[in-house]
Amino acid sequence: MTFKYANLLLIIGFGSLSVVSSLLLSSGMLFLLTEVLVIALLAQMWNLLAGYGGMVSLGQQAFVGLGGYGLYVFANHSGLPVWLWIVVVPLMVGVAALPLGMLMFKLKSAYFSVGMWVAAEILAAIVMRTDALGQSGGLVLRPGGESLAGNPERILFAGAGLLLIGTIVGLRVLLNSDLGLALLAMRDGEEAAEAAGVNVRRTNLLIFCIAAAGCAAGGALYYFSTLYIAPTDAFQINWLISMMFVSVIGGVGTLTGPLLGTAVLIAVRETCTSLGLTGGTYWIIMGTIAIATLLILPRGLWPALRSKLHVPKTEKEATIG
Amino acid sequence: MLKTVGISKSFSGVPAADDVSLSLQAGERVGVIGPNGAGKSTLLGLLLGTVLPDRGQILLDGDDVTRLSPHQRVSGGIARAAQIPMTFHRLSVSDNVRVPAVHGAGLRGREAVEWVDEVLEMCGLAASAKVAAGQLGLLSRKRLELAKAIATRPKVLLLDEVAAGLTEPEIETIIHMVETLSEGRAIMWVEHIPFALRSVCERLIVMDKGRKILDGPFAHVWDDPVLQEIYMGVPDDNLS
Repeated sequence: MTFKYANLLLIIGFGSLSVVSSLLLSSGMLFLLTEVLVIALLAQMWNLLAGYGGMVSLGQQAFVGLGGYGLYVFANHSGLPVWLWIVVVPLMVGVAALPLGMLMFKLKSAYFSVGMWVAAEILAAIVMRTDALGQSGGLVLRPGGESLAGNPERILFAGAGLLLIGTIVGLRVLLNSDLGLALLAMRDGEEAAEAAGVNVRRTNLLIFCIAAAGCAAGGALYYFSTLYIAPTDAFQINWLISMMFVSVIGGVGTLTGPLLGTAVLIAVRETCTSLGLTGGTYWIIMGTIAIATLLILPRGLWPALRSKLHVPKTEKEATIG
Repeated sequence: MLKTVGISKSFSGVPAADDVSLSLQAGERVGVIGPNGAGKSTLLGLLLGTVLPDRGQILLDGDDVTRLSPHQRVSGGIARAAQIPMTFHRLSVSDNVRVPAVHGAGLRGREAVEWVDEVLEMCGLAASAKVAAGQLGLLSRKRLELAKAIATRPKVLLLDEVAAGLTEPEIETIIHMVETLSEGRAIMWVEHIPFALRSVCERLIVMDKGRKILDGPFAHVWDDPVLQEIYMGVPDDNLS
């Protein structure tokens, strides 16, 4: 019962916080915060896939790009409202991920990781050569052929906030379900889970599709706020690096870790920008922080902080040892 | 109930199972012995589905299960306790048992909770239900491995050297557990410890070089000169 109340409290608290702040903050701030929420969402998905599911994908940026492009193509060429597509496109990407997953699961561990990366690169290359997708020039968001009236950033920010908190609550429920139990068992040993009656392949595929849909939702939200999409941006590996950085720094295999990691990522990035440090210097700083954190706290910030603060582990929450 | 027809499996040309045909009746308790490399573990792997045969057929209650994956066979009523306990080390003992109760036996809600408690009680693990499996000692992990197998509610229980590596009093507790757990099930027990098999099994199968050499009532097979020959130079009383 307390578990359900905690979830309800999370939704109401963070939901109203995001709605209220969407009314108070400036447009530029909202754009930045929407990106923050999207990165946190993507990180939760990578964390689900790699941290809980043990599928270390290096190609999740493919689903971010697909979500963005899916939104542009369907919104631009149909008379239906763009808000509908922001819900439908992630579901479509989730379904489309099924055959890709079936193919990729023929590859084991490191081969799977690299295979996913190659798949993402192939997809980006196809988009860059497709006329209908604007080739390397990209697309402008014109729902139904019209320019978008007004700026959607308030609703987008509130929507991203609600989606993120919905995702976290959804993941909490998932990890406490029978499916979550199977997932946690598989993380400790796939062969043992299979011998205990768990359909390992089906569980992996399901998680793969959920993570794909989640990344697509992040992509759709983000590129809605930019009003312009290009393949070099939508399919860039920086999406993946952000997801991994945030998860690993914060604590893989925990739900709180990626949120903490996102805060670190954005704080460092914005500080660098305000100091005029860009490009190479910025990445050197990020890399140094990542290596230093992992040398000092191999399991990430949150597990270390949690034991310092004596916060009890939630039952199904666990870290990669 | 469980039947194999001429199953064979080679690993890079070396036969690990060579034309093995056997059948197991409901409630029957069968011991399997043979020198290292005789193909005992491979046989259990073939029955569970972690190893697929090159030739031959495996039937469960008359249905062909030769190509089914392990989780499908578990649902069909075959379970295995592994030689090296394959416990979920980051999950609690009770969650370890819950995985097969839910996903193997297909239980839900209250039914699952009650069955997990019952299995933990049966296997002497009730006191450590909340402990992470990774923190257990060897005997407890062996108990947990048995508990996980039993939690799937199997008709056929495959035991792969579940008593290996234990001291004699510990082996006694495992024997006692197997006796309790075998109520109403067929058991196939691979073990190198003859006194353990002798106290539980009424039938004995002898394997050598992937082939089934002997198969019959325990005492009968035990006294067979062929068995002495396989374990050449080892006198009978050293084995028992």
